Amino acid sequence: MNYPVWELYFAGGGLLIAFIAVVHVYVSHFAVGGGLFLVLSEIKAYREASAPILEYTRRHAKFFLLLTMVFGGLTGVGIWFTIALLNPAATSDLIHTFVFGWATEWVCFLGEIVALFIYYYTFGKMRPRQHLKIGWLYFMFAWLSLFLINGIIDFMLTPGRWLEDGNFWSGFFNPTMWPAMFFRTSLAFMFSGIFGILTAVFIKDDATRRIMVRYCGRWVLFPFVAVLVSGYWYFKALPAEIQEMITRRSPELWVYFKWFWIVSAAIFVIGVLKAAWAPQRLGKALAFVLLAIGLMYMGTFEFMREGGRRPYVIYKHIFTNSMRVRQQAEVNRRGILQTARWVKNRQITAANQMEAGREIFRLECISCHSVGGVLNDILPVTAKFSVFGMDSQLDGMGKINRYMPPFFGTRQERLALANYIVRGLHGKKDADEPVVRTDPGPVDVPAFDADKDSYVLLAWNDLGMHCISDSDPYWVLLPPANDLMAQLIKRGPKPEVVTRDVVIEYRVEPDFENPASHVAFWNYAHAVFGKSLKQNIGLSGNGLKGEMEFNAERRVFEADLIPVVPYPDSGGFNPYPMFTITARDKKTGRVLATTKTTAPTSTEMGCRNCHGGKWRVAGVAGFSAETAMDVLKMHDKHNRTDLLARSRRGKPVLCQSCHADPILGAKGDGVRLNLPAAIHGWHANYLSMRGTEACYKCHPSSPRGPTKCLRGIHSKTMDCTSCHGTLEDHALSLLKAEAAGGKAEARRLMAHLVPRKVASVGDVKGRKPWFNEPDCLACHQGYGPAAKGSSSFNRWTAGREKLYRESHGRHGSLMCEACHGAPHAIFPAANPYGFNRDNIAPIQYQQKAASLGKGNCRVCHLKKPGRGGHHDGM
Amino acid sequence: MTPVTLVPQPDVLQVPWGWFQALLVFTFILHLLLMNTMLGNAILAVFAGLGRNEDYHAMEKQASVNLPYAIAFTVNIGVAPLLFLQVLYGHLIYASSVLMAVYWLSVVGLLIIAYYCAYIYDFKFEALGSRRTLLIAASAVLMLTIGFIFTNNMTLMLTPAKWQAYFSNPNGTILNLSDPTLVPRYLHFVTASVAIGGLSQAIYWKIRQQKGLEQAASRVAIGMRWFFRATVVQLALGTWFLLALPSGVLSRLTSGALYPTILLIAAATAVLLVLYFGIKQQVWPAAACVAATVTIMVLIRDFVRAAYLEPFFSLSDLKVAPQYSPMIMFLVSFVVGLIIVAYMLKLAAAAGKEA
Repeated sequence: MNYPVWELYFAGGGLLIAFIAVVHVYVSHFAVGGGLFLVLSEIKAYREASAPILEYTRRHAKFFLLLTMVFGGLTGVGIWFTIALLNPAATSDLIHTFVFGWATEWVCFLGEIVALFIYYYTFGKMRPRQHLKIGWLYFMFAWLSLFLINGIIDFMLTPGRWLEDGNFWSGFFNPTMWPAMFFRTSLAFMFSGIFGILTAVFIKDDATRRIMVRYCGRWVLFPFVAVLVSGYWYFKALPAEIQEMITRRSPELWVYFKWFWIVSAAIFVIGVLKAAWAPQRLGKALAFVLLAIGLMYMGTFEFMREGGRRPYVIYKHIFTNSMRVRQQAEVNRRGILQTARWVKNRQITAANQMEAGREIFRLECISCHSVGGVLNDILPVTAKFSVFGMDSQLDGMGKINRYMPPFFGTRQERLALANYIVRGLHGKKDADEPVVRTDPGPVDVPAFDADKDSYVLLAWNDLGMHCISDSDPYWVLLPPANDLMAQLIKRGPKPEVVTRDVVIEYRVEPDFENPASHVAFWNYAHAVFGKSLKQNIGLSGNGLKGEMEFNAERRVFEADLIPVVPYPDSGGFNPYPMFTITARDKKTGRVLATTKTTAPTSTEMGCRNCHGGKWRVAGVAGFSAETAMDVLKMHDKHNRTDLLARSRRGKPVLCQSCHADPILGAKGDGVRLNLPAAIHGWHANYLSMRGTEACYKCHPSSPRGPTKCLRGIHSKTMDCTSCHGTLEDHALSLLKAEAAGGKAEARRLMAHLVPRKVASVGDVKGRKPWFNEPDCLACHQGYGPAAKGSSSFNRWTAGREKLYRESHGRHGSLMCEACHGAPHAIFPAANPYGFNRDNIAPIQYQQKAASLGKGNCRVCHLKKPGRGGHHDGM
Repeated sequence: MTPVTLVPQPDVLQVPWGWFQALLVFTFILHLLLMNTMLGNAILAVFAGLGRNEDYHAMEKQASVNLPYAIAFTVNIGVAPLLFLQVLYGHLIYASSVLMAVYWLSVVGLLIIAYYCAYIYDFKFEALGSRRTLLIAASAVLMLTIGFIFTNNMTLMLTPAKWQAYFSNPNGTILNLSDPTLVPRYLHFVTASVAIGGLSQAIYWKIRQQKGLEQAASRVAIGMRWFFRATVVQLALGTWFLLALPSGVLSRLTSGALYPTILLIAAATAVLLVLYFGIKQQVWPAAACVAATVTIMVLIRDFVRAAYLEPFFSLSDLKVAPQYSPMIMFLVSFVVGLIIVAYMLKLAAAAGKEA
């Protein structure tokens, strides 16, 4: 914000600081521990009156001088140079807060240099007692250096009370300062053993070499125990959120965490080898291996420490990209281009959008990301994104997963940044999804003779749209499983719903008879559902044609879980396959009535909008392998699961095997969130402040898409949010119920969601998915017309039995859907594949696309009925 | 976008700026003297290595012994002024450093190589034979390069008008080559190093002479000759540097106001004395006058810096949130540290005699 940013595309991503810091820290710890090592080795030489050991100590001192003073000293200055270039704002904070800490450390540095020069150059020339005194003074200065720097470095991880009082001492004696000090001191001693072995293996005299290698081996082993003990103390002293970041939240840190333990074991084994046997044959090679392992040890620890404080460079004070916590609100309001100093494009226009995006990229991204470099390369992690996906990813940063800072700036700036990454860095064209042309073909409506026909057969699909995840080789969210319902009415002066002595059959139109040749569901049904299914037979045993069963409770004939898919055998995509429903006399087989209905089913699920990959079928729908795998990859990354590996072993996962879901009757494991809450809750964090776009980027309701599932009468004046709320509202309603049930994860997902339909989270009414849904009667009070602008958000049905799709009219005879159509396709519906494709029954029986019997009781009633009707308001 | 809008907001100080200013000036003078000794000895070692006579050989050998110490203390004593500079002018030097980041960061690598060259030169002085001159020449060239990079940054941090270049080159490869003061300023420091390199040798051999080494006298003379000739060249360079200053800055310096006038008169007097003692080959008075000159020059440099920055920044603008205890910790540890260092040096001085 305050400073120019060095545009380090290839060498960025922390490569410079990682390189210089790890080697410096390794050598500088040696510079501390090695001081004591020299003194104690010299004492050992005097005690044992051993000239070879004294000579070894002298030679080791020369090695020590050349390594620690030249390389160690200058790389230390190098770190300072480097951090000032990469994060001047945080460096300035450290300098201004701790200037006298640094200055005191400088005095120690001076003392170290003088002591070390004298120690080495007077070796053998000074009286032993005085020479040892110089050695002790060196060690004192070196350890005090570590003491001072440790306080400041650890301050960055746990600034403690400094955040409130800004006091030097609060920052220095921060909550983890002491455990860190013990940890680093132990490391320093251990490293002095590692470097001791490195010089000891070159001793020519066999006996001396063996003695000294074993001696150094003990220098590795004993401090190693202290490293583990103090390391545990250090870890336990960290605030819970940092512990969690290291062990759970940060995907990359997990690798370092694992390696830390592997390397620990290696150090222990080699340490024991050296201390106990000092093997001759592998001596030199092992010494170098140990040296490399020591460096890895330092590296993994430093990466964990730096990673643990993410997304901050000074915890809760300044982010890794130099953005200050306290500036966030202002920058979001005024914009990063207005508040940062080193910016050329202050306003975004169509002409400069790319250049402005690049400037924002420079300000907010390249302090951690390289472009095509070795570390934290931004290219592979953003390759999958469209501008929309990238923008959404930026939206979600710093919310649920806090290892990256939040985006600072306005919506327009965020879009400019997304545009730069996708179009600029990746060179993608990223045109908007084309408008899908659907074929509004003729709809063949069965005949009905109002004067002669005795029966009215009504059929419908209960949900109005059933989505299918045809990502079967990887995971299953929803299998092909459509439910059809039918009611047969015997017309008369007093019409009655026929429930006996009839057979009601269903049959899909010919082009849709072979779903198994379009989706891999049947190959994985056993692995996913534990059922061996015949081709084209669904989970309940129903196929694409068959008899419906009578459900006495609902007084309806139904065929459930019909495995229809939106892929015609002749090719392409049609999410509204047509079924013919026929009612026959059970005894004679005579056809009593025939009608049709669609079984709406779509694979237009837009996961690819953010997860990458293309559509699998006809360029308009279906899951490509790339999309499906990325979904698993992200799930694995964020939740430490192994779903992708499982799918590769031929065991795709059913989401509901862990997550409860009332629609499938899945109970879940009781710990994790139910599936709708998990999915909406997670993604709402990435799709905030949007309208229906947030809905149709996942669900098949895009106005440009091939399904347009919201097609009923409500689509004329309303959109998804009218009943369901915006995505934030919707997600909060689901999460609140889960939070009330004691699921902590719900609170984590809710933390950054702000409701938009109501004033506060407190005003959102929690609900159970699929059962507490927007109540029709909330707007249609007394079954009357809805007032303009009314919304049923937050006015949920009391339970499953109150759902529209479960409800009957007065007398409990006809189901609501029988006369009004399926949800989202309430009559009159405008189907993109033929206007009346969803209006068959009204057209068939009353030649008018409207609620059945509206002003036309004669559809069923051959004699004018009395007052009241099927519900109030008729 | 004007240059002023690019100047970052400085952070808050812990004690009033005067403290930092005093510490900066004091430690910078020490650093400058050490740096001059280091670079001067390196350059002198190259030329002495090319010479054939006994005196040159001895002086070259002495330079090889001096150099590792000189580098170590130049770096160490350099840390302090760089720290205090960042406290007072961090917002300026961080910005300019980023602009020339590639060069600025390369200082670390170059210095490590130069340092190891100097150690090899010292430890393998005889074994290397004539190749050692090549080695120390490489070290000297690296040091000269580092100096050039420093001069670039120290001028770039004062001239935000040049910072606009960032918008066409954000890759950290900007140098301040178009600055008219860059070359005279750089040569001014290099020449000072040659002079002080000569003087440091003269001092060493003067001590040896006082301890009775006969051959030392001619080496003192050679050292003083280097010193004197370089100082004469310095007169011309100093004038060039002075006249190359932007008119606004120069007029502030020559405005006749009390403080700059005293500084200029003091500088002129000190330089005359330096020349006098130089030509007279009086080592100790010359050394004292050099210390005085460097001190005055650092104060003038400071005045010039303030004049450069006047349009957009003054030290008195810096806000203070006072907390004195850390400074007391530093001052106490500084004194204790120096006492311990003195004690160690005493032990070291006694060591040779006992052996």
